[in-house]
Amino acid sequence: MPTRVPVTGIGCLCAAGNTLDEAVASMLSGQRHGKPPARFTTTHVDRFPVFCIEDEFEQVSDVEMLRTTQLGLAAAVQAVRQSGWDLDQLRELRVGVCMGTTVGSAMNNERFYSEYRNGHTPDMGPINCFLNSNPAAAISRHFGLNGPCQTIVNACSSGTDAIGLASSWLQAGLCDVVLAGGADELCRTTYNGFASLQISAPVLSRPFDETRCGLNLGEGAAVLVLESQRVQQQRQMRAKGYVIGYVLGYGSGTDGWHLTAPHPDGRGLKQALAEAFTTSGVEKEQLAFINCHGTGTRDNDRVESKVLGEVLAQIPFHSTKGYTGHTLGAAGAIEAAFTLAFLRDGIIPASAGFSQMDPELSVIPVTEPTTIVKEFALSESLAFGGNNAALILARGEAGV
Amino acid sequence: MNRLTCPVAIQGLGCVGGFGCGIDDFCHALVAGSCAPTLSSEQHADGLAYGPAYLAQTDTLTDFVAKRSLRRLDHYARMALLGGCLALEDAGIAGEQREKVGVMVASGYGASTTTFSFLDSVLDDGDHCASPTNFSNSVHNVAAAYLSMQLGMLGPNLTISQFEMSMSSALCNAVCWLQQGRVDTVLVGGVDEHCPVLNYCYQRYFATVDGGQTSAKIEPFVFDRQTAIPGEGAGFLVLSADPDKARYGMIDGVDVGHMRQPTWSADDLLLVGADGHCNCGQWYESIADHHQNHRLASCTPVYGSQPTGQAFDLIAAALMINDQRLYGHTTGHTTMADSDTIDSVTSLKVAADGQYGAVHMVKGI
Repeated sequence: MPTRVPVTGIGCLCAAGNTLDEAVASMLSGQRHGKPPARFTTTHVDRFPVFCIEDEFEQVSDVEMLRTTQLGLAAAVQAVRQSGWDLDQLRELRVGVCMGTTVGSAMNNERFYSEYRNGHTPDMGPINCFLNSNPAAAISRHFGLNGPCQTIVNACSSGTDAIGLASSWLQAGLCDVVLAGGADELCRTTYNGFASLQISAPVLSRPFDETRCGLNLGEGAAVLVLESQRVQQQRQMRAKGYVIGYVLGYGSGTDGWHLTAPHPDGRGLKQALAEAFTTSGVEKEQLAFINCHGTGTRDNDRVESKVLGEVLAQIPFHSTKGYTGHTLGAAGAIEAAFTLAFLRDGIIPASAGFSQMDPELSVIPVTEPTTIVKEFALSESLAFGGNNAALILARGEAGV
Repeated sequence: MNRLTCPVAIQGLGCVGGFGCGIDDFCHALVAGSCAPTLSSEQHADGLAYGPAYLAQTDTLTDFVAKRSLRRLDHYARMALLGGCLALEDAGIAGEQREKVGVMVASGYGASTTTFSFLDSVLDDGDHCASPTNFSNSVHNVAAAYLSMQLGMLGPNLTISQFEMSMSSALCNAVCWLQQGRVDTVLVGGVDEHCPVLNYCYQRYFATVDGGQTSAKIEPFVFDRQTAIPGEGAGFLVLSADPDKARYGMIDGVDVGHMRQPTWSADDLLLVGADGHCNCGQWYESIADHHQNHRLASCTPVYGSQPTGQAFDLIAAALMINDQRLYGHTTGHTTMADSDTIDSVTSLKVAADGQYGAVHMVKGI
């Protein structure tokens, strides 16, 4: 019997907005905020556009930590605030934290390393900062929580995997509440890395378009407050907290094929989808829409389209990366947050950047804001290392 | 302690580290009580000397994987692959039986050397000359990816990075997968790599402790002095939902939390991950004080100080239960007479901030 995991709070920051509602409104009005990087210098001839959080976001801690962790913490504070939890009550429960990231786990400070290799005595500040910035640990520490605390580093599916894993903790009775999501910042290392792989687009990305030529990097974070059904029902009886949506199913699958290219037949993605449908008890015909990974690279969109055509034909789909950039370890969490908000609002934005059908692809995304009626949706992620993950989410009983 | 309603079976073990390669080498080192770290005569240009470290060799990986397939794999991925191969071989799981095996990897720092090599490519030749091979091999899930690609394990695949808590976190998830029926078998383990930059950081943080004296060996039960020596390696366990496959006993409890509100328990032998870091000493000292009725042991002088060192403790615990032999360093009152048995072992790792991960292991059914 599938178990529904209630979502009672959502925090989200990305280039489309510093809250979930800001981001949704911005996407529905078609705004795209990609531009050349301003937070760091680059000597690339092509200044690949990025999606940066421009406005100051809420700083919730004085502790020095990576921007990735600051973003994750800000999203967690938004989520807990919305959930209505009293912090003292929360601390009496077993509360886990499960966060996905890529940059937040990498010891790659260029300034430190440059001084080290040049024979100088580098300041250890960047290393101290790194050691203090494990996203899950920082969030758990900030709120004073006591429960499982894990940072998932499954590359670009990390955020989706973190939410799926957190749901399984609740189903297994390991904890009462979990703060789950993902966070990643823009940085030179990933900017240079994706450029070196020749999958960064010199223009705003065009997922699923015939002229697509790569991805744009982005930054952001999203955190969901997930609760056990028992805890949520107790709170509901006391009129504290309401359900924004549900995590119904999670699946993951492995390509076992190539480090950076997806399996040509989408082997692992199909495996992830099959598991997500089985665990959720949802039939594909019940889906209102699909939030795709949709990076805008030739390979990703080809494989994802192939699987959509074979397994999920006729279901409306879109990519939101044209509004946020690819936020790597945060992407799956941000897109899960969007999916829940779109289910709430009954409308999904157009797939930004798409205008021209690729004859090689058998499906096309939605090209304008589209009304949806059904109560279930799918969010999927593909990642380096051949990781694939999918979440099936459901509309809740109350507005966000 | 979260006791499992259905304990999971330990079907196979595999490891590589400063002690050598495989269970036999590990056992020999455990019996000896320690092994010698590799000494370095080098020093950084700023005058700071590099310290000794327990370093792993992966030459025997070609016994399992064609040399040609290894050409792009760095030392980090090779250690993981070798540890995984050894565990699968020990478990008797052949290639054609691996498709549905899940993979769970823990790492504190990921592929450190390759991460810095990528930065070298940028610093040496500019942004436009960044190395794509180094970038793709520097992602944290690269070890899990190669385990999947090279060994044909296509079940769920997850990598965790939680510093010292990485291994107990990974084990917690692996048990969850088995209990919830996602998979029947999981390869779960930890891998961490030592490199000059980490060694330098180590010396910067700790060389001044105790007057700059580098300890010649790890002294796990000396809690007020810095005796840690860094190490590297990979330790893997094959876990099964089938109790009949418990070649090395069963895991029947996993617990994570903070020492402020500990919920772990030990009813026989307590195997602590005390690795000579005095910033964790207070926690281990309090454990030693409060568990004087328990036998207390540590195996850290065999594998060195590393974030995922608990992987080796879990292997040592499984061997102790299987061999009915007390391995590693013990406290003064911990002995084992001929009539004594080892019915259970609790592996406990505590981080400097008081976070702990505990795993309870018992004899097979």
